[in-house]
Amino acid sequence: MDWIFLAELSVNGALTGLLYSLFAIGLVLVYKSSSVPNLAQGALTMLGAYVVLAFSIQLGVPLWLAIPVAIVIMFFVGLGIEKVALRRLAGRPIVMILMMTLGLDIFIRGSTLAVWGGTSRPMELGVSYDPFFAGPLLLSRINMVGAAVSVALFVAFIFFFRSRLGIRLRAISDDYMASWSVGISVERGVGLSWALASVVAVITGVIWGEIQSVDQSLSLLLLKGLTVAVLGGLDSILGAVLAGILLGIVENVGSAYLDPIVGGGSRDLLVAIVLILTVMVRPHGLFGRHDIERV
Amino acid sequence: MLPIRKYAKGLAAGAVLGIAALSSSMAQAADPIKFGMCYDLSKSYTFITPQIVQAVRDLAELTNMKGGIDGHPIELIVQDHGNEPQRGIECYEKLKREGVFIFDMLSTPVSIAVLPRIMSDKNILLQSLVGRGDAIDGSVFSQIFPVGPTYWGQIANDIEYVRQTHNGSLKGVKIAFVYVDYPFGQEPIEILKTLAAKEGFELGLFPYPLPGSDQSSAWTQIRKFQPDAIVSWSLAKMHVVASREMKRNGIPMDKYISVNWLNEIDITNIGPAEAKGLKRGTNVAGGQDVPIVKEIIAELYDKGKGNGDRAKLNDVYYNTGLAIYSVAFEAARLAVEKGGWPLNAEKMKVGFESLKNYDANGLFAPVTVTAEDHGGGGKTRIEMWDGEKWVPQTDWIGAYNDVVWEVVKKSSKSFKTE
Repeated sequence: MDWIFLAELSVNGALTGLLYSLFAIGLVLVYKSSSVPNLAQGALTMLGAYVVLAFSIQLGVPLWLAIPVAIVIMFFVGLGIEKVALRRLAGRPIVMILMMTLGLDIFIRGSTLAVWGGTSRPMELGVSYDPFFAGPLLLSRINMVGAAVSVALFVAFIFFFRSRLGIRLRAISDDYMASWSVGISVERGVGLSWALASVVAVITGVIWGEIQSVDQSLSLLLLKGLTVAVLGGLDSILGAVLAGILLGIVENVGSAYLDPIVGGGSRDLLVAIVLILTVMVRPHGLFGRHDIERV
Repeated sequence: MLPIRKYAKGLAAGAVLGIAALSSSMAQAADPIKFGMCYDLSKSYTFITPQIVQAVRDLAELTNMKGGIDGHPIELIVQDHGNEPQRGIECYEKLKREGVFIFDMLSTPVSIAVLPRIMSDKNILLQSLVGRGDAIDGSVFSQIFPVGPTYWGQIANDIEYVRQTHNGSLKGVKIAFVYVDYPFGQEPIEILKTLAAKEGFELGLFPYPLPGSDQSSAWTQIRKFQPDAIVSWSLAKMHVVASREMKRNGIPMDKYISVNWLNEIDITNIGPAEAKGLKRGTNVAGGQDVPIVKEIIAELYDKGKGNGDRAKLNDVYYNTGLAIYSVAFEAARLAVEKGGWPLNAEKMKVGFESLKNYDANGLFAPVTVTAEDHGGGGKTRIEMWDGEKWVPQTDWIGAYNDVVWEVVKKSSKSFKTE
């Protein structure tokens, strides 16, 4: 057994997994307030990246300025989505809200294609791709940057959910009706969670845009991000972070040893197995609340 | 005398212009030759379809300006199928009712889906560069014309290039095949395994999953494998991710040989300097130093009549569109020449099968299509990005045809029994 090879696969898998955690945090934020997986999070991530590029490439704004500007814009986009599309669905069956997020996903993907076309564009953060060794392990700098951002966001949200505003959101997450009865504006809370998820989408879009360029395929991050969120527990940010690490290691190490035996394809298979087992054995995920039930 | 001569010259010039205008207007008035382009304009193939549609529109317009094909204008009907087989079939059926009998789906899954109907209806399917590789077997796929190289021919030519660069022998040479784990990426594996056994090279297979954003595990393993050459079956941004991983793993860019789906946009996204040394197998001559491209620029774009963004003319996919439809229009011309008007699918098939050493306006290696071989030769060449432009590294190669045809025959035989 080549232990260094194994360690390198594990560390790089964990770093990649944290990039998926970054995406999953956005899903968790909406789930905490609306109890629905936001199927438009992938499209929002793509939109966030396009907005950054619209400012930096089309308008010539420096990237360091374009990113915060896009964050502010997407914050209001998130608020707007809740106000225009989701507020009127309050009290309707969850499946209707789920379908609305699916509709939003298709709408955003179609709109971005019409506006920016299908051509991929670079997101040049200036991160070096020269080899970087930590002892005998060769690591990816952009993945390390992404992982650091993911952990920083996790810490920021830990503090946020301890603030007055965060506690209101937690209350909404715990019980809609009770929150209403004590005068908490549930609509504003849900709107805020969509706004924060949209902010996370920009950050995710920028990091993934640097890795793979910006095009329609950014929206496909949803599949892996959703798997991470389900594994971690759909309402747990800590779960999203740890599940990302776990899933990243399992698929990176597992596929490296299984692919040569089965002739490829084991990576997606491993992800599918993890997802199926999670739903069967522990539907509330690793750190989710126990009152989440299979419908 | 001078005024009379001047008058005569003016009269002659006027007559020439009049005849040209008349032939152009006659082309507009006569029955058109319709091409049904059911394309993916909104999903997976959007990295190529805008350039190809623009090229075909330009070529059709130029052809119509010259009087069309035997006086008949070319009419292009472009519709979106979103890479969905069912929508492709709907598009086919709709256009068939409108009198179209020449179709192009530019999508592997959609081409495969409509193929049985096309065969049954005895219509014509252009299938260059996509779809079933065994469709070059004209004895089985009588109505399908995948003129140009298949992925099987292309991978064989890539291996031939590696052989040429290793003093004519592949014994002991390590070749890594990195591919997106999807039917497109898996397509060359059988040929590769056959050639590895035949030539004695060590083959390493390194798949990565869709959408291709995460290739770190594959490249860590490739670094460990220490290949002499890396052949990649990837698309668009997957090359960008691969280039980053290569740099991170300290693998020189000049080992990378891409499938033809790598264009100038990908080079921009990788970074022109970073991409230096990268190679691709190409089906068409790229760049603007091609007579037909120069003519289109002079007759259309310089006069503000181009059918899209001028910047796309630098894209190899633009030239790909010109090449595919240069062949199609030439086949139509031969069909009318041999069978007369009205043109139908049967005559069009004869037109295609009459193509001899046709180089698609200088864009393809010369192709000769026969009733047996609907591919026309399957030649490609390797070119290298030198930091500013593509530089051909080889002449057009058509290697290991025996191996490719063996696989083609084996596969097409199974279609007969399906």
